[in-house]
Amino acid sequence: MSDLVNVTIDGVQISVPKGTPIIEAAKQAGVLVPHYCYHPSLPSPAVCRMCLVEVEKAPKLVPACVTTVADGNVIHVNNDKSKRARESVLEFLLINHPLDCPICDQAGECELQDYTFQEGRAGTRYGDYAKRYNPVEDFGPDVLYVANRCILCTRCVRFMDNVAGDAVLNVSERGDRAFIGIDPDHKLDHPWAGNVVDLCPVGSLISKDFLHKARAWDLDKTASVCTGCTQGCNTMIDTRDDVVVRLRPRPNLDVNRHFICDEGRSDYRWMNRGDRIEAPLVREGGKLTPTDWTQALDRLGAAVKAARRVVILASGRASTESLGFVRRMVDGASVTAAIKVPLGAEAPLAGVPNLALRKERVPNLAGASLAGYGTDWSAALAAAKGADLVVVLDADLDDADVAALSGAAAVAVIGTVDDDRLAGSALILPATNMAEENGTYVNRDHRVQRYFQAKPAPGMARPAWWIAAEATHAARGLAAPATAADAFAALGAMIPALAGLTYSDLGHTGRVVTPNAAGAAR
Amino acid sequence: MAIGVKVMKRPEREMSYVRAALKGMALTFKHMLQPKVTMQYPEERSTADERGSYAVAPRWRGTHRMLADEQGRSKCVACGLCPQICPANCIKLVPGEDEEGNRYPLIYEIDEFRCVFCGYCQEVCPEEAIHVGVHFENAEYSRDRFVYDLERLTSQTHQVSSLWDPADVRGQ
Repeated sequence: MSDLVNVTIDGVQISVPKGTPIIEAAKQAGVLVPHYCYHPSLPSPAVCRMCLVEVEKAPKLVPACVTTVADGNVIHVNNDKSKRARESVLEFLLINHPLDCPICDQAGECELQDYTFQEGRAGTRYGDYAKRYNPVEDFGPDVLYVANRCILCTRCVRFMDNVAGDAVLNVSERGDRAFIGIDPDHKLDHPWAGNVVDLCPVGSLISKDFLHKARAWDLDKTASVCTGCTQGCNTMIDTRDDVVVRLRPRPNLDVNRHFICDEGRSDYRWMNRGDRIEAPLVREGGKLTPTDWTQALDRLGAAVKAARRVVILASGRASTESLGFVRRMVDGASVTAAIKVPLGAEAPLAGVPNLALRKERVPNLAGASLAGYGTDWSAALAAAKGADLVVVLDADLDDADVAALSGAAAVAVIGTVDDDRLAGSALILPATNMAEENGTYVNRDHRVQRYFQAKPAPGMARPAWWIAAEATHAARGLAAPATAADAFAALGAMIPALAGLTYSDLGHTGRVVTPNAAGAAR
Repeated sequence: MAIGVKVMKRPEREMSYVRAALKGMALTFKHMLQPKVTMQYPEERSTADERGSYAVAPRWRGTHRMLADEQGRSKCVACGLCPQICPANCIKLVPGEDEEGNRYPLIYEIDEFRCVFCGYCQEVCPEEAIHVGVHFENAEYSRDRFVYDLERLTSQTHQVSSLWDPADVRGQ
């Protein structure tokens, strides 16, 4: 095995591929080397000097982020010499760092705070010196730069230069006067510029949208998938008291590395909407009346059973489970099913191959086409005239769409948001939105990815797959799954490409399936 | 009497109550002549300067007080540590930003009914803004008056608790 080298890190022996930086090898050995300038998705300049470690027989401490491992290396991350070096680096960083953790948005998730607490000096030897002071600068649409807190790791500069390809940031001045400068003729308005906020290890680059909204320790984090476009970037939904307060990227090296675009980042307000349908409504003597699920599902089952020509108008935000089970619910009738696909401008991230904000602004386009949904919205609207039943699955309807519904004999709405224009429907059933259910999306590369429930559903709302499966049970006696995991496992019968797959096969990074193959791509 | 009960025959001198009553009254009259020790609370109160045996301890933890800066604004920067550490979950805090970009509490409320007066909020406060007070006289006509808002917390003037004895910080 010539391409593997054996190294010992803090007494742990591991074999890693040749050319691995020490910092990555240490991660595999279960040792975190404290670092600021290093980031796995950025080039390493070794400027912060925080990751200095001792390698036996080397003349002095080496930076772990740019030094590659050599065969037989014995590396000490947590011995006295390395620790003393880190303590000194922290002391230098803290000479000018303000003690404004109480008002800093990063407090609680700040790497300077963490490492200082972990291994910094207890006191300061620079108490008599005045700290450097620079005013807060407005960098762009969503980014503020607090120069005082900056530790000059240059992650933001390298992200804009090497990854975004829009070199508007630099390090201006020198020595202890240095700060991050912005081209005076430009703003930090690249469609992916918001990532500098996540990259910043301290609270120097902060998001205006999130400013003062919540403290890091108040947040509950849930793994999810971005609903902005067909790229399917992995995200983390941060909620505070069951309100979504921000979205952040979740690393997935095969999809979005460590980044999400600004459009995806700001696309969370719809998850918190208050104007929700909370109880099933059925038409009783010409009036919509709230009822219980048993009656509502019987009504839906009866409507489905009686219908010969059915049209499904679905949202591209619906989970693969919901799309599959709603489609199965109307099996046996002649069905026209379509999702609405809003289009926008494509915005690629230059430094990462196959990563862009895509033109098609729905997350589950591929999942919908696997489940038998078309994208020809106007044809579906035309078919709605004269249809026996139109099922509206949380679709975002404009006035023309609503007008087209009037030609249908009956309309059943499985929706999240209360819409007065749909008051003529036969049934209105409350469904959970994406942040309130477990489910999967299939991205444009046919990667099936899970998302998790981040907050409770309002009122009596249930996942759309549950509603459809229970109505199918009422109409045709087919068994209905009880959990999202069961629903996904049963999906293989409807979508051959997903046959044999379960949630545990998908993990947190998803799995690529072959769209036309029967049986899972394993 | 069926069974024999022994009846003591004592001299009159020992059987009389007069002697005992006089003895008791003598003690009473003696105290009338001695200096008064009862304080007529609430008409009369001990003051901070004459800290006698009945002054409230400086480490007493009572209802809260928010300290203000020279401009009279509260010193709170809405860092969120006190609601975090509060074991009774009685502090409500909503942060905001003023015109100069300073962080400050839009809403700061303490429910004094829920408070257990542990003093953690004072201990954790990095700005030395919120304090428990050396104060125990709490009476109101309605329950909701015990939810102290920022204005009330700031306008109170009672002495704040020292939490620990400066001479013996570890309490040894």
